[in-house]
Amino acid sequence: MDFFFNLFSDPVGFWNSHTLLISQIGINGIIATSMFLVLYSGQLSLAAPGFMAVGAYTSVLMELYWHTPFAVNIAAGTLLAALGGLLVGLPVLRLRGVFLAIATIGFIEALRLGVILNVPITGEGLGLKHAADPLGGVPIILVSLVVTVFLVWRLTKGRLGSAWSAIRQDEIAALSQGINVAQYKMIAFVFSALLAGYGGALEAHLTFIVAPGDEQYGVTRAVQILTFAVLGGSGFVLGPLAGALIVTLLPYIFLQAGPYINVFSGIFLIAVIVFRPQGIVGRGGLAIVRPAWWPRARARAPSPG
Amino acid sequence: MDQQIVNAIFIGSIYALFAVGYTLVFGILDILNLAHSAVFMLGAALTYSLVVNHGQPFAVACILGIAASAFMGLVIEYVCLRPLRRRQAPPIAALISTIGLALVIVAAIEQGTSSSIFSWLWVDGANSVAFPAGTVPNPIWHIGDLTLEASKVAIIPITIALMLVLGYVMRYTQVGRGLRAVAENPRAARLMGLDVDRMISLTLVISSALGGLAGIMFGVALGDISPYIGRDNVEVRGLAVIVLGGMGSIPGAVIGGYLLGVVEVLTLVTLGSGASGGVAFAALFLMLVLRPQGLFGTRLRERI
Amino acid sequence: MLLRLVDVQRHFGGVRAVDGVSLEVNQGSIQGLIGPNGAGKTTLVNVVTGYARFQGGRAWLESDELTGLPAHRIASLGIARTFQNIRLFKDLTAIENVLIGMHTRRRDDTLAQLATLPLFRSDERSRIKDAYALLESVGLPHSVGTRHAATLPYGDQRRLEIARALALRPRLLILDEPAAGMNPAEKQGMRELIERLNAEGLTILLIDHDMRLVMGVCKRVAVLNFGKKIADGTPDEVSTDAGVIKAYLGTGGDREVTSAPGASGVDEATEVEEAAVTSRAAREPDKAILDVEDLTVSYGAVVAVRGVSFRVAAGEVVALIGANGAGKSTILNTLSGLIRPESGTATFDGLDLANAKASAIVRHGLVQVPEGREILARQTVLENLELATWARRDGAATRKRIEDVMKRFPILGERRALSAGSLSGGEQQMLAIARGLLARPRLLLLDEPSLGLAPQMVDEVFRAIEEIHKEGTTILLVEQNALRALGVADRAYVIETGRILLSGSGDDLLHNPAVRRAYLGG
Repeated sequence: MDFFFNLFSDPVGFWNSHTLLISQIGINGIIATSMFLVLYSGQLSLAAPGFMAVGAYTSVLMELYWHTPFAVNIAAGTLLAALGGLLVGLPVLRLRGVFLAIATIGFIEALRLGVILNVPITGEGLGLKHAADPLGGVPIILVSLVVTVFLVWRLTKGRLGSAWSAIRQDEIAALSQGINVAQYKMIAFVFSALLAGYGGALEAHLTFIVAPGDEQYGVTRAVQILTFAVLGGSGFVLGPLAGALIVTLLPYIFLQAGPYINVFSGIFLIAVIVFRPQGIVGRGGLAIVRPAWWPRARARAPSPG
Repeated sequence: MDQQIVNAIFIGSIYALFAVGYTLVFGILDILNLAHSAVFMLGAALTYSLVVNHGQPFAVACILGIAASAFMGLVIEYVCLRPLRRRQAPPIAALISTIGLALVIVAAIEQGTSSSIFSWLWVDGANSVAFPAGTVPNPIWHIGDLTLEASKVAIIPITIALMLVLGYVMRYTQVGRGLRAVAENPRAARLMGLDVDRMISLTLVISSALGGLAGIMFGVALGDISPYIGRDNVEVRGLAVIVLGGMGSIPGAVIGGYLLGVVEVLTLVTLGSGASGGVAFAALFLMLVLRPQGLFGTRLRERI
Repeated sequence: MLLRLVDVQRHFGGVRAVDGVSLEVNQGSIQGLIGPNGAGKTTLVNVVTGYARFQGGRAWLESDELTGLPAHRIASLGIARTFQNIRLFKDLTAIENVLIGMHTRRRDDTLAQLATLPLFRSDERSRIKDAYALLESVGLPHSVGTRHAATLPYGDQRRLEIARALALRPRLLILDEPAAGMNPAEKQGMRELIERLNAEGLTILLIDHDMRLVMGVCKRVAVLNFGKKIADGTPDEVSTDAGVIKAYLGTGGDREVTSAPGASGVDEATEVEEAAVTSRAAREPDKAILDVEDLTVSYGAVVAVRGVSFRVAAGEVVALIGANGAGKSTILNTLSGLIRPESGTATFDGLDLANAKASAIVRHGLVQVPEGREILARQTVLENLELATWARRDGAATRKRIEDVMKRFPILGERRALSAGSLSGGEQQMLAIARGLLARPRLLLLDEPSLGLAPQMVDEVFRAIEEIHKEGTTILLVEQNALRALGVADRAYVIETGRILLSGSGDDLLHNPAVRRAYLGG
């Protein structure tokens, strides 16, 4: 428990010796918020790593080839990811539940294995080396995180957010209230892509290299991001954030377990989900993709008769 | 080229075998069992350990490996699925709990060294190993330009035979009818006196046994056994296969498996090694966009 | 004229659910749309509101053409609707539900939200005030506002759904069975609400299969049967129309039906209460095969069955009758082990039903033929039958029993190789009953066996029930078609809002005028 002990006994030293970890928590927080947006609007999309890759590669390539300023690179990566969100969203958003999840996995892996690994300009499997973090990362990341969470929280409180809630709860009823379901899903999907692109662009500047690993832009990452949201609870914006914090810190929480960290992490995950299926933060359950025939052990939904 | 087609069929067999287990569980529970690829790996790893570290004959090791995989199916049901069903959690929760179990299994093997508490299971850590030559008799035949290794060729009839047996069971036996009934309407199944929980356990046992067997075949034929073979080779490809065939459809998974094998090998030949992975996923993406119910699935419509 | 439909068509596979219906709804009126279950009422509403495609015909709301528009466009043009099986945003509070209803007339506040401008705050305050006013206007108290929709009692959920629809400020409100599952007092309240809304100037299209409600409030009523409009006129014209009586009530077996029940519109609640006093002379059997004591069942906060006790003796046919939502199916599902009771006991021939597994209950000989039949549509008829022997297999005899059942229901024998989903409703019901018999029941629970069937099919189903009974199977029958149920039952219990209101012999209840008026037919 030295890790957590140091956090309190020597916060400044902790900060200095763990900047990379703190940055990673911040990035994961932004990505988790991106995941929150799609889940909040009832979409089980796993596309975030794909948009992160778009943001990361765009910003790094601009830096390497055009030597444009950091802020411009990040902005370009973010906007391009949002555009990607629009293009991917058009065909896939009529899919629901696990079908949407698998289609988005198809997208991220097609992008990673099909495009990034095969287009010479991306450095293929080796990735791209570049100059890391010209502006001293951590403050930017943490400020970004706070702003992101604040903005998304405000969005959920307005007309957009109420439409998203309605769609998440019951698409058919939402239509009957005059809500353009397809349009609002798309708005959430594009916003989510934008945030993922931003997080990806920032993340690429944490280290000196951007490379197309599975843990970076593949299914493994997608699953990790989904875990943030489900573990934390996706009914409230702080849920996925809490999930991101916990999952990112798992190796430190189970530091004592030595080589068996992942064994304990896995058991921890199962235990949380089994005992709190709605996630750590929040009260309501996830009303996503529950099939009508799900065997109910003790009671069924009220039915007339 | 002919050689490539043989390769496609043989790798397709492994995909099919793996994906059938995947799709069985999805068909019955509407849940993606993401621990399935870990069971695939465990089957291979355990069989290897039994042969190399415990000196068992290959046949015995195989049987024990498959039995252990089947047992993992029960673990998945009792630890990851049934508690959530009882709490009426949404299926997305089961996604996470099975991921958690996969993490545990892979980590246990990964940490298996001669000094670890998992040494009885595995001692090679994160390394890739192969069965020692001669474990399985492996004559090599040459027919024209074709080179046929017995260990690979054998996979094809075994797969086809198993699929025929499974198809027969599902189609013509009382148990098969029962499994299909639970998949279609668990409520009706209960009213007819079926023990739905028990049928679900049975599904996971069959599914995991097939997954473990697919892993063993993979290990024998490709000479690559490591904690990561499930994740790297079949986890996402399995998804592609069941989507191609139609989620929940067994014949769909078999044909989808071979189809993916062929598509991959063809892109390998025509576009080179780099593109082959991407093409499979692009196909998966397109399939879902154009025909989400897959080749053999049926479309569901919500009643208002 | 507000709404005009011309020759609207919609079919599913070979079934013509809506077959060339034309209909006009006048500004400021309450137009009724009635018809038996499965007549195509809801499908028609789904087509008009954009949930199902037009496959012929057109529709206008005043001068706006609705044909081909998506559902959300139709809603914003001013058609609000409720759903037959209530579709609230369950995990949101009542007030949030109503606020979402204001979506189309709410200013886009995205930027204001981001800046958290005070301007927006006042906007929100006035919206919330409006929402509470809407709750009040449908008769829901303030205190309901902060409760989650799923936790509200059934009747309040119906009202909340109407409040949400009103939030759209619709030109036309379509109510799809708003009184389904309500007791007479609640129905009366709903009727008053509908009349009040109409008096305030709202045009309403009211769909229901309960003639009493529709006849009471509507100036004009259209009748659908098998997708076609068979009558359209004033309530008096419609209720005396011979074709309507036949299509709607079915034939009453030997009993004559001369007018549509409920047309007179008496206060039924009081009458039933009075009748309850007079007909308490229920003779409960001493020796029962099924013994239910003080059974209470809830779904979360909603209590569906409250302290129900009844008995069934071997060889009897006992009927549970009562309106939709009275708790009848809940009782059967509790007996079958699908739902666990909150308190009370249920014993079937020594087996504790409150704790036994569903599969063990079937093996013990208590078998349910569920509402809606729940046949396995993707399996063949023969496979359905084979599977029905799951609980009690006895080798070669099993095969013989399947053959016997196919002899009894020859239609099933003929269609044995077809998928069960391709059978007609009546044939599916026969299959469901046959399946129940193959489990070799000592007590057969039949849940709404006549639901949605054509009159001839209803006759056939009841003939089969009588035959099965004669062969010695004890039957517990749940029916909305009280006339038919009482015709075959030795004894019956009238259930209302989860309680047994009265009980007696089938004949007594059949001739009890209050029961007749309150529960006959639909």
